[in-house]
Amino acid sequence: MDRRTFLQIAAASPLLASEPAIPNYRIVSRYPKPAHPAMPGPYRGHAVRVRSAHSIDAASGVENASVVRQMLSAGVRALTRETKDRDAWSHFISSSDIVGIKVNCSGAPNIMSSPEVVAGIVENVMAAGVPAPHIYVYERFLGQLRSVHYDRHVAPGVNIQAVETSRGSIAGYDPDTYVEADFFGEDDTRSNMVRLVSQTFTKIINVPNMKEHQAAGVTGCLKNIAYGNFSNVSRSHRDSVSNTYSFIGTLASVEPIPAKTVLNVMDGLRGVWHGGPFSYDPKFRFYPKQILFGTDPVALDRLLIDVIEEKRKQEHAPSIFDRSPAHIRESGGLDPNFNHFVREPRHIEYASKLGLGVYDLARIQLKEIDL
Amino acid sequence: MNPLLVALLLPSIFWTEGPKTAPTLRDANIQHILAPAPVAAQWKGVTGISVEPADLTGMVKLPVPRVDYRINEASASQEPWIYSNGWHLMRQPSARFYYDVPGPAVALAAAEAFSYSANAVIHTDAEGLKPLGEMLTFLAPLDRPEDPVLANIGFIDDGSSQSGELMNLLIRRNLLLRIVSQPDPRLDLTVRLGAGGYSKAEAADPNKLEHQIRSDLTDAKRLLRIYGTSVVIGRLTGTPGHVRVHLLNYSSRPVTGMRVRVLGEYPHHTMAASGLPSASPLDYEIVNGGTEFTIDKLNTYGVVDLSR
Repeated sequence: MDRRTFLQIAAASPLLASEPAIPNYRIVSRYPKPAHPAMPGPYRGHAVRVRSAHSIDAASGVENASVVRQMLSAGVRALTRETKDRDAWSHFISSSDIVGIKVNCSGAPNIMSSPEVVAGIVENVMAAGVPAPHIYVYERFLGQLRSVHYDRHVAPGVNIQAVETSRGSIAGYDPDTYVEADFFGEDDTRSNMVRLVSQTFTKIINVPNMKEHQAAGVTGCLKNIAYGNFSNVSRSHRDSVSNTYSFIGTLASVEPIPAKTVLNVMDGLRGVWHGGPFSYDPKFRFYPKQILFGTDPVALDRLLIDVIEEKRKQEHAPSIFDRSPAHIRESGGLDPNFNHFVREPRHIEYASKLGLGVYDLARIQLKEIDL
Repeated sequence: MNPLLVALLLPSIFWTEGPKTAPTLRDANIQHILAPAPVAAQWKGVTGISVEPADLTGMVKLPVPRVDYRINEASASQEPWIYSNGWHLMRQPSARFYYDVPGPAVALAAAEAFSYSANAVIHTDAEGLKPLGEMLTFLAPLDRPEDPVLANIGFIDDGSSQSGELMNLLIRRNLLLRIVSQPDPRLDLTVRLGAGGYSKAEAADPNKLEHQIRSDLTDAKRLLRIYGTSVVIGRLTGTPGHVRVHLLNYSSRPVTGMRVRVLGEYPHHTMAASGLPSASPLDYEIVNGGTEFTIDKLNTYGVVDLSR
C-alpha cells in the first residue's frame, strides 16, 4: 500500500462512523456576510507548498531568516501568479489597511509561529504601504505571546498585542459578537470574538503551525482562526469528549472573520506530531521544513492532515482518525499510543460544509516548490 | 432610608481584644464593636468607639466564604468550588450568624452578609480590621438593602441536607431562588425535593439535578446571567422598575472583565463597587429583551442599580 492510498483510507474510514452530535449554536454578529468573502477567497481550492531543507536546522532548532524570506516570496508569488513581491502582496493588503497577524503561541517557546516567518510577513505588509502602527501581531494569552519576543524581530512601532492581558478577562472581547452553546451544562455559554478582530482590523493574516491536536486531531488554519479568536473555548472538551468537530468551523464562519482573513501562511518549519498543541517533550517535535500558502483554510488543513498522519505512521502511532476507546487514556504522561480525547480531525471536512473551503483532496490544486 | 436601619443591616464586628487595640480600630475607621461582657467592661470610657456586650451562644457559625480552585483534583469540569453561605443565610432568615474570618477575606464575609440582609457578627484578626473597616464604610451609604429578592425559582425547603446542598449548587450557578412555603405562580418554577420530577434519589447527584432544573427553567427565562467568570455570584433585589444587581467575587483576586445580563429593559444605571470609586458599567446596552453590561473590574463586591 503506498502512502497516498493509506492516507485516503485513513481519511475515508471515519465516514463509516456516526456523525458527531451537533450542539445547538446561536451565532450573534452584526456583521453581514460579504458577497465575496476573503475566506476561502479568490484561491479557493488552491494551495502552495514551499519546502527548503535549509529553512531550519533540526539539531539546533535555529531558522534561517534569509531562506524563510525566500520561501515567503516564492509562496505568495506562486499563489497570486505575480512576479514581484509587492504586486503579490497587494492582492491581499493595501496601504489603508489595519492588519492583524494571528500568530499561534500555544506551544511557545518550543513551537510557535516562527519570528522569522512573522518578521517576513510584517516586512511585506509594510512594503505594501501599511505603517508599523497599523500592524498588530496578536495572540490571546499574554504570557505565551511574551515568551516569543516578536518585538525583537519586527520593525519598531508594530503592535505586539495580547487579548487577555489578565488571564480569563473578557475585556478584550466583543460583547456583541459571540457564539452561544451549552456543551456540558457549563453556565458560561458564550464565546466572544476578539474585539480587535471585529472592531479594529480590516485584514487578517493567519499564521498557524503544523501540529497534531489532542482534541481537534490537527491544529492548523481553522483552529487558529477559530479558537484563537474567541474567548471561553476550552469548555468544548470534557472527559474524553470534544466538540471541536463542529465548534471550530462554526467559530471560523462567524463574520467578520471570513470577510477579513485574506491569507493563511502555515508555518511548518517545525511541527508537533503528538501531544499538541503544546510541545513540552522534544521527541514529539519534527521538522517538515515547509510553509503552506493559501486563502482556503480548509484546503491547507486538509494537506496538514497528511503531514501529521505520515509522521505518525512513521512513528507507529495510531491515526488521528482512530476513535477506539482502547486508545483513550485521560491521565498519565504522553504516550503516542494513547490520547486524552477522541480526536475530531473531521472538523476540517465539517468546515468545508459551512462554505469555508475545499476538503476533497482530488479537488485541491497544490503547487509544490522546492528551494 | 432611615440611617439607623442601614446601620442595623450592616454586619457587626466581634472583637475580643482590650482597649490597647483602640488605635488599630480607629485606623480601620471602626467606631462600634461587640465584645464578650468582660472585655466590653474594659472598653468603658474609651472615646470614639462604642462597645456593646455580646454572647456568641446561639449564633450560627458560618464557614469562611472563598474559592477552592482544586487544581490538583480530578473533576468533571474546570469550575472552581465556591464556598458560599447564601443557602445558610436564606434558610434561616431570622437567625443570627457568626463569621470568624482572618485576614483580608473578611471583607467578602461582610459583603455576603450584607447582600443577603443577614444579621451577622464578624470576628477577624488585626490584619482583617482594615479591609473590614473599608468594606463597612463602602456598605454604609448603600440604600435599599431591604428590597425584596427577585428570583426565578421558588424552593420549598424541607430542611434536609440534600435540599441544602441543592440550594447551594443553584446559588453557586446563579440560578436565582427564594424559599417559599408553597408554589408561587409569580415564579417560573417550583422545586421541591421528592415532588414534581425532582426525586430525592436524583438529589444524590446534585450536579445532574441542577442541570435538570436549569433545563426546566430554560436560560431564556433566567433573570440574571453572568459570563466570563466562574467565581462571581449574583443576586437580584428590587421593586417594580428598579433592580439591584449584587455581585460577590468569591476569589481573593479581582475579577477583570465579566459580562452581566439582566432580563428586562432598564435604560438607566448607577454602580458602586468596593475599592473602585469610579466604577461604571461598560458596553451598556439593551438587547433582546435584556439589559447587558460589562464590569471591567470587580474587587469584592459591587452593586449595579438598574431602573426604567
